[in-house]
Amino acid sequence: MIRVYVDLSKCQHYGQCVFEAPNIFKLNDEDKLEYAATADDSELLNVREAIDVCPMQAIKLVD
Amino acid sequence: MGGLRAAESLRRSGFDGQINLIGAEPHLPYNRPPLSKDLLAKDKTLADIAFPIHHGELQANFVLGNRVETLNLEESHVELSSGAKYQFDYLVAATGLRSRQMSFPNNLGRGRYSLRTYDDARSLRDSLAPGKRVVILGAGFIGLELAATLRTLGCLIDVVAVEAIPLAAILGNEFGDEVRRRHVNEGVRFHLERSIVDLIGTREVEGVLLSDGTELPCEILIEAVGSLPNIEWLSGNEIELSNGVLTDQTLRVMSESGTSYQHVFAIGDIARFPYSTRSLPARRIEHWNIPIESAKWVGRQISHHEKPGSVLEFKQGERFNPLPSFWSDQFSVSILSYGEPTLADECLLIEGELGNEFIMGYRRAGELVGVAGIGMRREVNKLRGEIRL
Repeated sequence: MIRVYVDLSKCQHYGQCVFEAPNIFKLNDEDKLEYAATADDSELLNVREAIDVCPMQAIKLVD
Repeated sequence: MGGLRAAESLRRSGFDGQINLIGAEPHLPYNRPPLSKDLLAKDKTLADIAFPIHHGELQANFVLGNRVETLNLEESHVELSSGAKYQFDYLVAATGLRSRQMSFPNNLGRGRYSLRTYDDARSLRDSLAPGKRVVILGAGFIGLELAATLRTLGCLIDVVAVEAIPLAAILGNEFGDEVRRRHVNEGVRFHLERSIVDLIGTREVEGVLLSDGTELPCEILIEAVGSLPNIEWLSGNEIELSNGVLTDQTLRVMSESGTSYQHVFAIGDIARFPYSTRSLPARRIEHWNIPIESAKWVGRQISHHEKPGSVLEFKQGERFNPLPSFWSDQFSVSILSYGEPTLADECLLIEGELGNEFIMGYRRAGELVGVAGIGMRREVNKLRGEIRL
């Protein structure tokens, strides 16, 4: 199990993470980010890619 | 950022050799986009924008505050400003850009700023206060973002630019006009189709003289007139260095005689790389996602070259073909774009309406080559997959 954290005070809702890890991140009807705080280990590489492409560097993996 | 991402990609794809990350700045890699926004507006420090680095996994040697002065390709080493020499089996050139500097007859130094590095931002921030008169030369993304951030801080902003409509060369007249109008509504004053011909003042900048004879008083002048690739250190090696570093489809650096160096790569803003499907001249792309994409690519290329067959996702013969993307926040205006709108021969409103949120599509010979929107994030993101480059 991995734990994902998004600092929503940093997030500007660009949705770049959605392309890298669509099972974890999505933009809702109001163009705001929603995400799953926990996910299967198989999502680790996708979440890492999402962390890299976040323009605001708002995403973290929590130990 | 490019260097760090390349090192990460090398490790993730199995490279087990030594990695030296050499940088001219004294700081570990950090995210630059906040420099024109949060870092000026809020009480943020370097720690807030530094990239997380997993040193245990990265196993890289950081050599900071030490510029690479020269490359000796024949002997496979670089020499730093400290005089130290580093031998290499592979070289990744990721030296990025520096701000272009203007020169004036009355070439005062004090009161002038530019914005590229954390130290630039700190120095500008220390001089800011509500009510300060600021002239910004240049109405590109950096100039406009600075105008918005500083206006929000209560500064009085005059933007001087040679173009008739800001961003028109990148996103078209209608889009540019929408951005300009929103700045004007917030109290930003534009002096378009003008240049600064001289500075006014004796010991520090007290104003600027425009090409039409107007004098604008100011305490702060910010030059946001584009950037230059840091490539001088590569000269003397027969590398093709006109407008950046020319590379082949795999980002290997090209010689003046048109051959690729198998162990030398260029990534990020300095890499002038060819289109993979279009017969157009190679181009540099100064967007934030290009260093990331190109660094990941090069890490895999090197790992594969070192141990063929070891990199799972490596496809022989594949060409580097990233989808450029950029975003910009100015006041409540949030721009998001994909593709290369500058290639378009036609620009049309796809969704929404000017004056509110909207998306423009950019077509070349009928094919969608770019999209850009103000707001309408999800719709812009949906169109991403329809772009053909």
